[in-house]
Amino acid sequence: MVLNMTLIGNICSSLFPNLSGDSKNREGVRGIDASIRFPLLTLIISASVWLIIATVVGFIASIKMHSPGFLADYSFLTYGKVAPIFWNSLVYGWLFNAGLACAVFLLSRLGGKNVGLGAFLTISITLWNTGVTAGIIGIMWGEQLPFQWLEFPAFAAPILFLAFLGIGTWNLLTFRARIHRSSYASQWWILASIFSFAWIYTAAQVMLVGTPAKGAIQTLVNSWYVENVFGLVIAPLTFATLYYLLPKTLGTVVVGYKYSSWAFWSWFLFASFSGFVDLANGPIPAWVSSLGVIATFGLLIPTTTISIQFLSSLFSRFSVIWDSVTARYLFAGCITFLLVMYQKIFGSLRGAMDTTQFSLYDSGVTQLALFGFAGMTFTGAIYFILPRLLNKELPSTSLIDLQFWSHLIGLILVSIGLISGGTQQGELMNGSTAEALVVVKTMQSSFYLTTIGMLFFIIGAVASGATYIGIILSTRIPEETETSLIKEAPELEYSAS
Amino acid sequence: MNRGPFIFLGIFLIVATSWTFVLFETNQWVGNLSAVFDEDLGKYVPRKTVGAAAHGKEVYQELGCIACHTQQVRVASGMDIARGWGERQSVARDYINEERSLIGNIRIGPDLSNVGSRQLDRNWYLLHFYNPQINSQGTNMPPYPFLYEVREVVGEASANALDLPEEFFPGEGLEVIPTRKAESLASYMLSLRVDYDLKEAPKSNETMAEELAVALEIAQ
Repeated sequence: MVLNMTLIGNICSSLFPNLSGDSKNREGVRGIDASIRFPLLTLIISASVWLIIATVVGFIASIKMHSPGFLADYSFLTYGKVAPIFWNSLVYGWLFNAGLACAVFLLSRLGGKNVGLGAFLTISITLWNTGVTAGIIGIMWGEQLPFQWLEFPAFAAPILFLAFLGIGTWNLLTFRARIHRSSYASQWWILASIFSFAWIYTAAQVMLVGTPAKGAIQTLVNSWYVENVFGLVIAPLTFATLYYLLPKTLGTVVVGYKYSSWAFWSWFLFASFSGFVDLANGPIPAWVSSLGVIATFGLLIPTTTISIQFLSSLFSRFSVIWDSVTARYLFAGCITFLLVMYQKIFGSLRGAMDTTQFSLYDSGVTQLALFGFAGMTFTGAIYFILPRLLNKELPSTSLIDLQFWSHLIGLILVSIGLISGGTQQGELMNGSTAEALVVVKTMQSSFYLTTIGMLFFIIGAVASGATYIGIILSTRIPEETETSLIKEAPELEYSAS
Repeated sequence: MNRGPFIFLGIFLIVATSWTFVLFETNQWVGNLSAVFDEDLGKYVPRKTVGAAAHGKEVYQELGCIACHTQQVRVASGMDIARGWGERQSVARDYINEERSLIGNIRIGPDLSNVGSRQLDRNWYLLHFYNPQINSQGTNMPPYPFLYEVREVVGEASANALDLPEEFFPGEGLEVIPTRKAESLASYMLSLRVDYDLKEAPKSNETMAEELAVALEIAQ
């Protein structure tokens, strides 16, 4: 009982800290933090819960690939259901919550003004998570739609759309209320990703569920949507986070910042047409996949610009990477970004595609992008946000180390398992007449590798969850009542342009 | 780059252009495709999926079979023809009746667009769904025991009970009866065959050569 009261006291102290030792500068920031504290914690905790769900379900799905009898008696856990549950909880559960947490924090801090409406934002976030939960229960129930990343039954779509509209509106209002007339790259990327998701989600729902397009076109709509969720929504949110946090953690402006708007527009232009590679030689017009390959190659331009900006900034302050938890995650995120783009761009070449089409290769590259590039960046950002939001120290660096390394090992095992296993599978499926049975046998070791990787992901997910809970529940020590606990990095954003 | 409306408009234009070029244009083109009359079969093709097969298609969708099986045959790349998965390229017209497209893009298992002309035995499918190890030993396809009812034999054994090999038998005095879902799924599998020609997708050279060889043999 006493313990319970202490915990409740600690939670209250986390949510409504009573801080002293103000400077004028901190006053504004504290007001902003107070208004977004509850919605942000909702986003972060939801993201963490979804990551644990996604990795556990991914683990089950992976076991089923080498041991098909595992949990086979339960119709709601059959492979055809756990696979979409894994992807949807990963994308709409983990990455959307974590990415939007970064967006909310960044826009508030960069705007420098408190727009309030915290309750409205919290309700929208809760609605979003209700939508995701309803969708996943719908899949288990047997109501799934046969569209990748859009498997949620039709009833979940309006809930998600409405919730996203709420979150998006809040972000727009915060951007409009900003005190600086000029804007920073992070703000463009966030706004663009919010507009894009509203467009592509509506277009996909109308053309797949509302008034379904005819047969083969549905796969095209689906492929366009999936490619754009990554290219126009998740990747931009990640870039936004990197543009903001690299100067903050490294204490230097982004190298070559003046090329940012060029990178921004060229990325959106090419990303919106890229993909369609998996549709090659299928029952859709051939020019579509040719267009996709050309646009994918166009992505070389923004990819080069952005990588040079980020990596030069990181290398100019390389020692910080080992000192700062966040910088280490950002570094890992940037490196995986390069790997992902390399696989995506050169994987779209005719020769590579003929081999890897319909194999697990694509799934491997996507997981590298989601768990690595976006996931590591967002996780690093959350470790940056939480101490500032609550004015508390992170409870344990060894827990964070555990998370970092197990997530990284998981990432390496899963992507090697799926990318190399997928190539092997593609070679046999597309280049020989070996029976599917034989192909599956040669892939056994890849399947086991993926399962072990998924286990590491679970460890990482639980460790990061424990850190989040730990910082909220820990007792506030005297130093943590002083606003001087965290030294704010200089505001370099507006001097850069 | 200072203003929200500028970004909004730019992104809108980009996404709208992508949508118009890629989706709207192709959708118009496919929208104009219609069924054609096939003189050999004496009906319009592609045929619509009806009855138990249509129910089976729903089961296929519900269980997420699309996670491992495609329904498309390619000629320009891959070995689909050599594998006997089909006789010609799948084209947009083949799918015009599909309200929910099940084309798919992952092949852990074989392509199913012509499975109904490869495996004609209904019982094979019913055994396969109960436990794929019965007739495809070593596969990683999951069993679907929940599509079957295991019950005690009362009096005479049911006519539609599965004829299981001994090692897969659930127990003494028990029998395994397919539910309606399993029966429908088998009907759907049997209905999956592309046995008509379309002028935009002639049979592959290999198939035509084989047919010619058979015809010549008969002539001799």
